[in-house]
Amino acid sequence: MTSPLTPAVTETTKAALAIRNYSLSYRTADGIVSALKNIDLTIAKGQTVGLVGESGSGKSSMAWSIMRYLPPNAVETAGAIRLAGEEILDYTPRQMLDIRGRRMAMVFQDPSTSLNPTIRLGEQIAEVLMRHRGLTKVEAMQEAEAALARTGITHPKDMLQRYPHEASGGEKQRVVIATAFACEPELIIFDEPTTALDILTARQILDLFNQLREETNVSALYISHDLGLVSRVVDEVSVLHKGVIVESGKVDDVFRRPKADYTRQLIGAVPNPDRWIGIDAPVNPEPLISLETIGVHYNAPTMLQKIFQPKEAEKAGFWGAKNVSMDVRKGELLGVVGESGSGKSTIAKVLAGLQEFDGKLQFDGKTFASRKDIDRAYRRRVQLVFQHPDASLNPRQTIGTIIGRPLKLYGIVPADKVAARVADLLEMVRLPADYAKRHPHQLSGGEKQRVAIARAFAAEPDLVICDEVTAALDVSVQAAVAELLVKLQKDTGTACVFITHDLNLIRQLAHRIAVMHHGALVDFFDGPDARSDDRDPYTKALLDAVPVHAAAEQSQDMMEGSAR
Amino acid sequence: MTRGYLIRRLLAIFLVLAIVTFAVFAITTVLPGNAAIMILGEYATPDAVAALERQLNLDQPWYMQYFNWVAGILRGDLGTSLRLSLPVSDVVGEAFLNSALLGVTALVAVTVIAIPLGALAALKRGTAVDLAIGLFSYLGTALPEFVTATLLLVFLAAPNSGIFPAGGFVAPWENMSGFAYHVALPAFTLGLILLAHISRQVRSEMAEVLSSDYVRAARLKGLTERRVIRRHALPNSLAPAVAVISLDIGYLLGGIIVVEEIFAWPGLGRLLMYALENRDLPVIQAVTLLLAAVYALSNLVSDIVIAMLDPRVRYA
Repeated sequence: MTSPLTPAVTETTKAALAIRNYSLSYRTADGIVSALKNIDLTIAKGQTVGLVGESGSGKSSMAWSIMRYLPPNAVETAGAIRLAGEEILDYTPRQMLDIRGRRMAMVFQDPSTSLNPTIRLGEQIAEVLMRHRGLTKVEAMQEAEAALARTGITHPKDMLQRYPHEASGGEKQRVVIATAFACEPELIIFDEPTTALDILTARQILDLFNQLREETNVSALYISHDLGLVSRVVDEVSVLHKGVIVESGKVDDVFRRPKADYTRQLIGAVPNPDRWIGIDAPVNPEPLISLETIGVHYNAPTMLQKIFQPKEAEKAGFWGAKNVSMDVRKGELLGVVGESGSGKSTIAKVLAGLQEFDGKLQFDGKTFASRKDIDRAYRRRVQLVFQHPDASLNPRQTIGTIIGRPLKLYGIVPADKVAARVADLLEMVRLPADYAKRHPHQLSGGEKQRVAIARAFAAEPDLVICDEVTAALDVSVQAAVAELLVKLQKDTGTACVFITHDLNLIRQLAHRIAVMHHGALVDFFDGPDARSDDRDPYTKALLDAVPVHAAAEQSQDMMEGSAR
Repeated sequence: MTRGYLIRRLLAIFLVLAIVTFAVFAITTVLPGNAAIMILGEYATPDAVAALERQLNLDQPWYMQYFNWVAGILRGDLGTSLRLSLPVSDVVGEAFLNSALLGVTALVAVTVIAIPLGALAALKRGTAVDLAIGLFSYLGTALPEFVTATLLLVFLAAPNSGIFPAGGFVAPWENMSGFAYHVALPAFTLGLILLAHISRQVRSEMAEVLSSDYVRAARLKGLTERRVIRRHALPNSLAPAVAVISLDIGYLLGGIIVVEEIFAWPGLGRLLMYALENRDLPVIQAVTLLLAAVYALSNLVSDIVIAMLDPRVRYA
């Protein structure tokens, strides 16, 4: 180790975290794979630095390196990581045990998986205080209550006694944040802390983050794939691409005047509500499907329950959708937005004939009053694409079999023409024809989603329902998939119901937008009217909560300027 | 867990047992051979058979016999053993106690050994330790009880050199160490079969929990490895193991019949064999019904234990 008097150290002692020329690789069956190359990153005391990258960019590896929590096959080839000037690469695992949770803490992406489901929330905060500050259980519980109160939880004492499944997503993330701040660490790593949360909750957590940052003057590394969001919370940002920092600097500089090609590409791919990419609205609006007072009651009380436990039966279950009436027009793209549990997927399932419902569904002159009435012809004409292609494509079938299935099932083409049609469909979704021989695991996430889309269009439907089809994909892939859908719509005239929580994206695509909340349809409007004054307060709240990144905001300013 | 849930479960168990009584009755009734002739043996003159049939109510139509039997059970009267001339409840009660001693010893021993073994295998996944544990437990499962029992008898209970007695029973309240000596080999034989089930279940569950986000989070909080394992990982790996243990009670009930016979353990298994050989219908019926009841109740108990281990499980 260098002596504390050398200039190199005095320069870095000012920084809460200094990473110098750090490289990391993983030993795999295919040889050594490089994850991070020559990383330089400095976080000054009290500063927040953003680390932005897509999946596979190495941003999570960076977090594990700093926390010294690397898998056994990791090889650190070069560099230094200094916490307040101390070289933590030299620390023993035992020394790191005392540093983790006390001097460095971490907030994770999904609070519902990062909290132990069988331990009360109070104990999960208190155990850190007992471990690092030597408090007794009683003292630690009092301290935990105070820590929770600082995160804005209204009844912290009550929350301590609950299990994770008894708290909402936002409450759980507050518990995780309270735990991270409990021992007043010098550095906190935030790993996509709002990605798993709903729009409004995410906004509250971001506000809380900014508030705690000011109160505690903690230094933070904020890891995210979401450029719009990062621009709201960080001072400086580094863009990570394939293990290399391609650009770093002040947040405004990077977003407004990106130097690296990759940064420009990334910014271009972020959905910008003012850049319309959809097709023209149908000229003569004709209804294709209409839903009339649709209701879906999950876990509805059974006959026996109604007889024997009438009181409990009244409370049993909940309404996934209640009294929903809307219509889908031929050839249009209808956006359905809402937070998780709002009923948007319930509506998708009703439309696809997968869910029992009350009320009426009208399609092409026919009326269906129950799921059982829905016939094969309807099922062909209404197709569904799911969020996770990994789960919706059979891993044991080839792509050719998967796409060929609806062709054979509905007799779309003669048996000897199936292979040729599969090739056509693959071309339509811009995949090479020889992909027909591959299995799903040999494809990337975006490619798999294209296959799922090709399968839906194979049935030559009148309506395709897309349930969060871009949510599991990277930003750049997301944009490509959205554009593909629009192109297919243009070529085939198929109507599309696009379900999403991404308001920026849907405003680029949808002719009309339906907003759902707690199973009810609260707002239904034409796309361009999203910002009009007579929107429902809930719609307004959602729109206000969504971060629009700096570049988009700039173009918005310009447009407003030119309009005036 | 609501009271309504418990009541429903108990009602379901009652229904299962009702069906079992009928099945047991039907099987014992259609068994070839006449119970009266079997009992009388060489004295089975037509008059004597007719008299005994009347005495045993075998001359009545089957539904009356069934009705009388079930009514007896509800009164707590299981009838009289045809061969032993003792009340069935006494005979079965004593045998049940002895079997329970053996079964519970085997189950407790295997649980105490298998859970740490499974956890250790998960912690040392992919190492020689893991491999050895896996091999040992699979070997135990692969060997049928009679093979294990024979091997144990040959190597550990051979005449003159034997460390353990080759068979027999000493009640623990009479002589604890005597009981331990006698129970060791049969309990080991029974437990070996279950060892792999439980340890493999704990291993796979533990491995999954160890790679979970919340265990990672616990480690990144700087908690000691000891606390991470004992407080965060192990308790969450146990619920599925409990479900397996409750299923294993079914195996145990089957295995106990063989093992008791080999080691001359005076329990339900031996009693059942004896009753079958001698066409002692009331005893056969009572033992079968009891085994079914034990199995049904153990399932309920395991569901309750699972609910205690995992607060997310709420029966309503």
